[in-house]
Amino acid sequence: MPDDDFRQFMADFIARNLPVDLRGKPYRLGWEKSKPWFQILSKAGLIAPAWPVEYGGMGLAAAKHIIYLEEMDRAGCPWMNEQGTMNVGPALIIHGTEEQRAKYLPRILSGEDVWCQGFSEPNAGSDLASVRTEARVEGDELIINGQKIWTSGAHDANMMFALVRTDKQAKKQAGISFVLMNRLQPGITIRPIRMIDGSSHFNQTFFDDARAKLSDVVGGLNNGWKVANSLLGSERLWAGSPRHAYKYLAILEKVARGAGRASDPSYVERKTHLTLDADDLASTYRRTVSTISTGRGYGYEASLLKIWQTELSQRIMELALEISSDAGGLSGDVSLDGETINLLYPYIESRPPTIFGGTVQIHRNILAKNVLKLPS
Amino acid sequence: MNANQQEAGTADEIRLLRDSAADFVKRSTNHQRTRALRETLPGHDADVLRSLTELGWPAILVPESHGGMGLGLTSMAAVLRELGRGLLGEPVVANWVLPIRALEFGDNDDLKAKLLPQMAEGKVTAALAFQERNGDFGSNVTKTTAVTSKKTVLLSGTKRFVAGCSGADGFLVTANADAGTGLYWIRREAPGLTLSHEWHADGTASGILSLSDAPAEAVAATPATCAAGLARALDEGAVMVCAELLGILSETLDRTLDYLRTRVQFDKPIGSFQALQHKTVDLFILQEICQSVLEQSVRVMDESATTPAERGRMASRCKARLSDAGLRVTREAIQLHGAIAMTDDCDIGLYFKRAITLSAWLGNAEYHRRRFASLQPSGN
Repeated sequence: MPDDDFRQFMADFIARNLPVDLRGKPYRLGWEKSKPWFQILSKAGLIAPAWPVEYGGMGLAAAKHIIYLEEMDRAGCPWMNEQGTMNVGPALIIHGTEEQRAKYLPRILSGEDVWCQGFSEPNAGSDLASVRTEARVEGDELIINGQKIWTSGAHDANMMFALVRTDKQAKKQAGISFVLMNRLQPGITIRPIRMIDGSSHFNQTFFDDARAKLSDVVGGLNNGWKVANSLLGSERLWAGSPRHAYKYLAILEKVARGAGRASDPSYVERKTHLTLDADDLASTYRRTVSTISTGRGYGYEASLLKIWQTELSQRIMELALEISSDAGGLSGDVSLDGETINLLYPYIESRPPTIFGGTVQIHRNILAKNVLKLPS
Repeated sequence: MNANQQEAGTADEIRLLRDSAADFVKRSTNHQRTRALRETLPGHDADVLRSLTELGWPAILVPESHGGMGLGLTSMAAVLRELGRGLLGEPVVANWVLPIRALEFGDNDDLKAKLLPQMAEGKVTAALAFQERNGDFGSNVTKTTAVTSKKTVLLSGTKRFVAGCSGADGFLVTANADAGTGLYWIRREAPGLTLSHEWHADGTASGILSLSDAPAEAVAATPATCAAGLARALDEGAVMVCAELLGILSETLDRTLDYLRTRVQFDKPIGSFQALQHKTVDLFILQEICQSVLEQSVRVMDESATTPAERGRMASRCKARLSDAGLRVTREAIQLHGAIAMTDDCDIGLYFKRAITLSAWLGNAEYHRRRFASLQPSGN
């Protein structure tokens, strides 16, 4: 299908099928609220744009994948739990066994399984390879003890994928396994963490003799670091998409109108600077994505895009707050000269992307070492 | 044939051109010579110019029907990026892009048939003299006059910031007649024409062309085509300057990385220090952003469907980014090298000054951001 036709197809499909009460929500909706839309996409075979067709995905090439995301954004589609389709699914497609794929991929596509990610720990944040949650092999099972943190969406999930230490003697990265488990078993308890935006999307997760099947280790025992890295690439590429920056630019424009600054030359100059930063990111994103085909891994470009995008989004919201005067100190929906704007939420929302999925400082370390070959 | 019909060049052709440019730069880069040529006239080395001409590069943009290669800006950009690395790009945009395009986009077919083949062979070198005041671009700010007297057009006025002037056999000059602003071809030796110089930051010449009842040889573009043709030539020229700037900043970054890997302080290579690593990574990211914008810009310029407004926005985006990045990478390179880079013996200073020169030429970043903001997007 030509790109333009595909764009029209997506726009038509969304217009016909997206429930009205789910449109244009500025906040992340929970699983229960967003589920109807997930199932509509799932039934139409449109839930996994990047997966190969043989596994039930759309097998979209890069250009069409971008169109898919652009049309979803344009129509204000809700942001749904992406751990299954974006993370564990691709990990299984690249590193899983045929049995694992047959067992889990269809249940991701249908929405029967909702996944959450157990990577970070209280003492393994930027230094992720320091994970201490330990799993010992007993017969055909793993017995898991320890603690995870920042488990996003754990309260919605019935399944979990986690990094666990299966060899304490091996060097850091070498003793880690990537394992799938039932989130709802008695050995796992979660405690929500209240965040500064008022949400409780993240959780602490505690493992007390939790169990997983040995056959649910992905990529082989003690081989989890490689699996995790291939998966983080897709998260970084997502974080590097210019659509985030364009979303914040639209908020900035609205604030400027409300604050009577839209044609103030000093504002226009700064906004133009930021617009060019976003447009040039978009050029780079397209150049990058066009070199990545479906199902393949991601290179250093994902780190580069993530750094530029996340810091740009922050600068945009910093300017929005700066030009909004007194209203910049208010919480919730604020009325500004005919515009109703929530300033605080997007300002706060723009902060964590420079932290999660590897801080931008960690990504600079990665680029310095692996791409620029600077000494350590 | 006009540029719309030109081929952008196949990927193989472009690779071939880039490889031969890279090879030429490897053989010909000599910064002792770069230093010796500063603030001299004509300011380029005769052997280097002869080699560039023998490689056929003055002909890259000249249509095949006029004895040229008929290739697009994609090909020219590939050559310029490499030449920028060796600081060998001096004549290219000023003599082999701007005047060739301005002449081609005009409406004097006889003059094209006469001059373009000679320009393609490097037998006639032209420079574009369109600018009069600091920061003013385009034909609507022209004060130079064109008065017809006994079938001869006499030009009077002063043009400033004329790049590529020192080796020029003639100039394409914008001037106002009763019918509007046109583009006129005048020979270097015409009576009433005097050429003086200011020096660019890098020691190349910036011409001041004084015209006092100086007789033009021909009208290269009547008012019907002058403004649009000039605007297009300037947009394309700005993007080509960006290609040279990318070569300059990439070479500067590569040299800086080499230095960081080898310079030892506190018993370690200084490139092992995180503060310097992060600064350098940001320059690398900037280089990648620049490459993306340049590649897209060149593609947009070469596409026949591009409208003048789209071309203007794209060119301004590109020049704003590359002007900024060229300055930033070269000045940060000085910081990363330390005091040694402030000495005239260190090559970094040569790249720093070339970047200053090119960043300012054909509109600096601040100018192009303002222009970008003033051109309404078409479509969305």
